[in-house]
Amino acid sequence: MKKKVRILTFSQAIQEALAQSMKIDKNVFIFGQGVDKTALVFKTTQGLKEKFGKKRIFDTPNAEQGETALAAGAANSGLRPILIHHRVDFMAYTFDQLVNWISLWSFKSAGKNRMPLVIRGIIGKGWGQGPQHAKTLHSMFAYIPGLRVVIPSSPSEAKGLLLSSIFLNDPVIFLEYRALYNTKEYVPLKPYFIDINSPRIRYVGNKITIIAIGSGVLTSIKAIEKIKSKSEIELIDLREIANFNYDKIFKSVKKTGKLIIVEDGWEKFSIASEIISVLSQKGIKLKKPPVKICWPNSHVPMSNPLESKYYPHENQIVKSIKKMI
Amino acid sequence: MKLTNLEKKIYFNLKLVRKVQLDIINRYHQGDKMKCPMHFCTGQEMMPAAISPYLNRADTIYSHHRSHGYFLCKNGSLKKMFAEFYGKITGTNGGLAGSQELSDSVVNFYSGTILSGALAMGNGSAFASKYKSKKNITISVIGDGGMEEGIVYEAINLAYLYKLPILFICENNIYSTHTHILDRTNSYNFVNKIMPHGIKCLKFNTNNVFQLSKKMKKVIETVRTGKPHFVEIQTYRFGSHVGPEDDDHYNYRSLKEREMWKKKDPILKVKKILSTRKDFYEFDKKFEKNISNKIKKAYEFAEASKFPTSYKQLNLSNSYSKKIKFYNNNIPFGGLQEGHKPKPY
Repeated sequence: MKKKVRILTFSQAIQEALAQSMKIDKNVFIFGQGVDKTALVFKTTQGLKEKFGKKRIFDTPNAEQGETALAAGAANSGLRPILIHHRVDFMAYTFDQLVNWISLWSFKSAGKNRMPLVIRGIIGKGWGQGPQHAKTLHSMFAYIPGLRVVIPSSPSEAKGLLLSSIFLNDPVIFLEYRALYNTKEYVPLKPYFIDINSPRIRYVGNKITIIAIGSGVLTSIKAIEKIKSKSEIELIDLREIANFNYDKIFKSVKKTGKLIIVEDGWEKFSIASEIISVLSQKGIKLKKPPVKICWPNSHVPMSNPLESKYYPHENQIVKSIKKMI
Repeated sequence: MKLTNLEKKIYFNLKLVRKVQLDIINRYHQGDKMKCPMHFCTGQEMMPAAISPYLNRADTIYSHHRSHGYFLCKNGSLKKMFAEFYGKITGTNGGLAGSQELSDSVVNFYSGTILSGALAMGNGSAFASKYKSKKNITISVIGDGGMEEGIVYEAINLAYLYKLPILFICENNIYSTHTHILDRTNSYNFVNKIMPHGIKCLKFNTNNVFQLSKKMKKVIETVRTGKPHFVEIQTYRFGSHVGPEDDDHYNYRSLKEREMWKKKDPILKVKKILSTRKDFYEFDKKFEKNISNKIKKAYEFAEASKFPTSYKQLNLSNSYSKKIKFYNNNIPFGGLQEGHKPKPY
């Protein structure tokens, strides 16, 4: 007999994580501009107001700084806030809160105080979102000590990583690529937690290591599906980009000696650059020069013909793999 | 007539803050052991002393960087405060932050030096009290310089909107570092700018700490019922913007102006008011001795304490609020995760 598999979209998985976390801990609350109405943040907050009431999920004025500071103060007073920004671009308003308060709260209290909050930011990438609605600032967040930056790549990952982020006692910037919301996958029903320190090996292989982040994981999978020598590619999903454990990466790159990094973000000062730098300092020798498949060092063009060439495409990865192998 | 307990408490705190300031100013360069920037509040001791009798331990203060007065009046430990200035591990912040960010969760006191961020964080603390149906209030303190930042108006709006039990205090000392208020905005008042946001506002221009205290008692009682307030006090710092020596050589304010304010010194005023009481001199002497003793012990504590030896591990806790078993996500990729073309938004 064929067992029916429980398939959820990325949006549904996020919604399930939010609902379950609110059920587990009454100190969890959600706020942000328009989070309780209309599009319901790509349906990720669907049904939460009906279930938990407006005390625990509520709309705010357009005051990103004030909201972020409120989240910080609430977290310091024992609540577990989840603040949502419809586009990461708006988070630029909140750099004072992130850089000067939230990220150093644990440090400047000598580890006595905690800042358990989650800030969900959506990366608009795709369909004409243009210079102010498509970008990602993940690398900038990752630069700041004391912040965790989580970027899920699939529905099952999103649910487990979000639950972990909510119950972690450190501040987490949780970035979601809009391009992933309608992707589907099996997602277990029970609440579960994923270790954000540990990158995930998606495919085991021995010839080339591909390290990918967020939507880059999906692009990489599409590329790998297209090539004959699938089993030769090792694919690593970074999960968290600021303070992850490098062991799996060292091991993989030592084994393969070849590295491609797929990152939906600007190439300069990227996580890709950081990983290559760490490997180089560690003295791990590569057989071929490493390849970064990132966004050009330019703002995002809206015009469709330009935009369609701007973001990394699976064919670009296929080409690099073929060249390297 | 004898001193009342309330008068004693207020006068003691006023004196404590002044004496501690003057003592640090005196020792700062001599020993050169407090190697951090310090913003002294001499001349501005009145508001913290005035509100001190009405605050509970569970109430929270988020303060600006000229914070020593509020810290001491929130029953912050003088020993830990000095140890912090020395950069010792026994300091309020483990010696990692110094005077500018003096914070101690034991007494629910936090401060920082990026002008207005702390003020806005106070909203979160007040929000948490309301969320948990507790009667605690939060006090956010800011200077006139900080009032120019946009985040202040976002915070005031949120406090009004969510009916938060928060008291915003603006200590208007006329200068933002060395820039006069009229070079920065259109009037000496911020009250007029806050009022239209729908929260109750009051402005005080007095050097009588008891009068101020009486009015602040009422304000605090109302804030406890969930009504946010904004209070502005006209004040003046006697010393420089930062550091123990004066900054008169920058010629940013006239000596005449400062002397005028010094004549209105709240400590002179309080002494004048209390001098008619039979037991004033007796208590004044007692307080003097008590405070000197406290200061001496606090320095000894700071001197004897050790420097911290590590700090990197303090940036992240890597801990969870509940016991967590990690799930090994072995869900295979491929057919089940389908890509999609983003829809127009």
